[in-house]
Amino acid sequence: MLASGPMADAAAAPRRPALHDRHVALGAKLAPFGGWEMPLQYAGVVREHTAVRERVGAFDVSHLGTVLVRGASAASYVNSTLTNDLGRIAPGMAQYTLCCTEDGGVVDDLIVYLRAEDDLLLVPNASNVAEVARRLAEGAPSGVRVEDVSGSYAVLAVQGPRSDATLEAVSLPAGHPYMSFVDTARDGVPVTVCRTGYTGERGYELVLPAADAGAVWDALLAAGAEPCGLGARDTLRLEMGYPLHGQDLSLEISPVQARSSWAVGWAKPVFWGREALLAERAAGPRRVLQGIESLDRGIPRRGMAVSSPDGGQVGEVTSGTFSPTRQVGIGLALLDPAVEVGAELTLDVRGRVSRVRVVRPPFVESSVR
Amino acid sequence: MLPQELRYTPQHEWVRDGGTVRVGITDFAQDALGDVVFVTLPEVGAQVQAGEPCGEVESTKSVSDVYSPVTGTVTARNEALEATPELINSDPYGDGWMFEVEAADAGQLDGLLDADAYAAQTGAS
Repeated sequence: MLASGPMADAAAAPRRPALHDRHVALGAKLAPFGGWEMPLQYAGVVREHTAVRERVGAFDVSHLGTVLVRGASAASYVNSTLTNDLGRIAPGMAQYTLCCTEDGGVVDDLIVYLRAEDDLLLVPNASNVAEVARRLAEGAPSGVRVEDVSGSYAVLAVQGPRSDATLEAVSLPAGHPYMSFVDTARDGVPVTVCRTGYTGERGYELVLPAADAGAVWDALLAAGAEPCGLGARDTLRLEMGYPLHGQDLSLEISPVQARSSWAVGWAKPVFWGREALLAERAAGPRRVLQGIESLDRGIPRRGMAVSSPDGGQVGEVTSGTFSPTRQVGIGLALLDPAVEVGAELTLDVRGRVSRVRVVRPPFVESSVR
Repeated sequence: MLPQELRYTPQHEWVRDGGTVRVGITDFAQDALGDVVFVTLPEVGAQVQAGEPCGEVESTKSVSDVYSPVTGTVTARNEALEATPELINSDPYGDGWMFEVEAADAGQLDGLLDADAYAAQTGAS
């Protein structure tokens, strides 16, 4: 049963994170995002991007949802619905997984924190948390409670090579293995510290009561973390080739197409979308998400047509940006499966022909471990 | 903090009249665009039409057309923007200038906004 939950309403005034006044005081440019008003940038996307690659940055990502799934068979229930195999991880570990429809479309991609067999925390995207919670609540057996507590918790990401030192400086645990988390307390405030992130750098995501987020945020900045917005978060994730739900993964773009099959527990007897995804995998996807890299000054942008040199269209860009690290245009594109890595294709950049090469992401070497 | 001696367009460009017409984008525009990564400018000698796109300025997040504020012939372009497009962010009214036009009809400048009118448009002071 869905115990409670603030339902996102796109038409309503945007929700503001607990740190809103601090963002304004820091000079942030704010933008609507998934029903929230969040910092897009402070000092500038490139500077913030570079801070994360070379030093350490702090992001307020409190627009991310928080859903508690609790009760005796909570873990086995979640494992019978979401795609990834919770049997691969032990309590104290988090896992990237997908919530699919029965026809294999992706409702959302999310992180599951396995606290215990009867206690899980799910972190879906802002736009999709209500739908993920609704689906889980609808199918939940008696004894499993699904509670959307989005907004009650703040989520802060601390990312970059200096993230361990930054956490230690604010009296939070650091150094635990990638994708593991520690439930701790700081000045009496419960904080979950997870070795996760969306940047490709070593880093952590902190989940804590929203009312207590200000003190932790202030301490992180005082320890040298530079405030970073969603603009840099997007260029950082795209350099890693991480898909963004709503662009590179969606109800129309399955995990088989998005090359996210690694997040599907194929051997599991049951999960949402299993039959459709098995059939698609066996038949071969009709299109595949690939990386593209500009060979000239054209920057791939979402929706641009991708064509073979003889002029036939072979796909479409789903995400694109200028890579601050590589100083070239990069993107993700859904392409005909016959297109091979290394192929040279062309991009329609507002009527001009621009050349790109198909590459296997990441565009920048990952340092998460 | 708008330079009072410049004229402005509704497309957030500034115009400096000094024999030829020098063109750039305003501080408001560079702030809205974010980090500029590529600039495409008209060639020297190109004929440009008032209000028509003649180039592009691209940031990490988006791309915008550059319009010519007057009709005329391009006499210069800021080649430094090829290697250092970030000059548009750091010094939009100075080293971040974009191109110069010899106006066919100097009277066209009178139709542009003065600093107060542009400030009213952007809500700036």
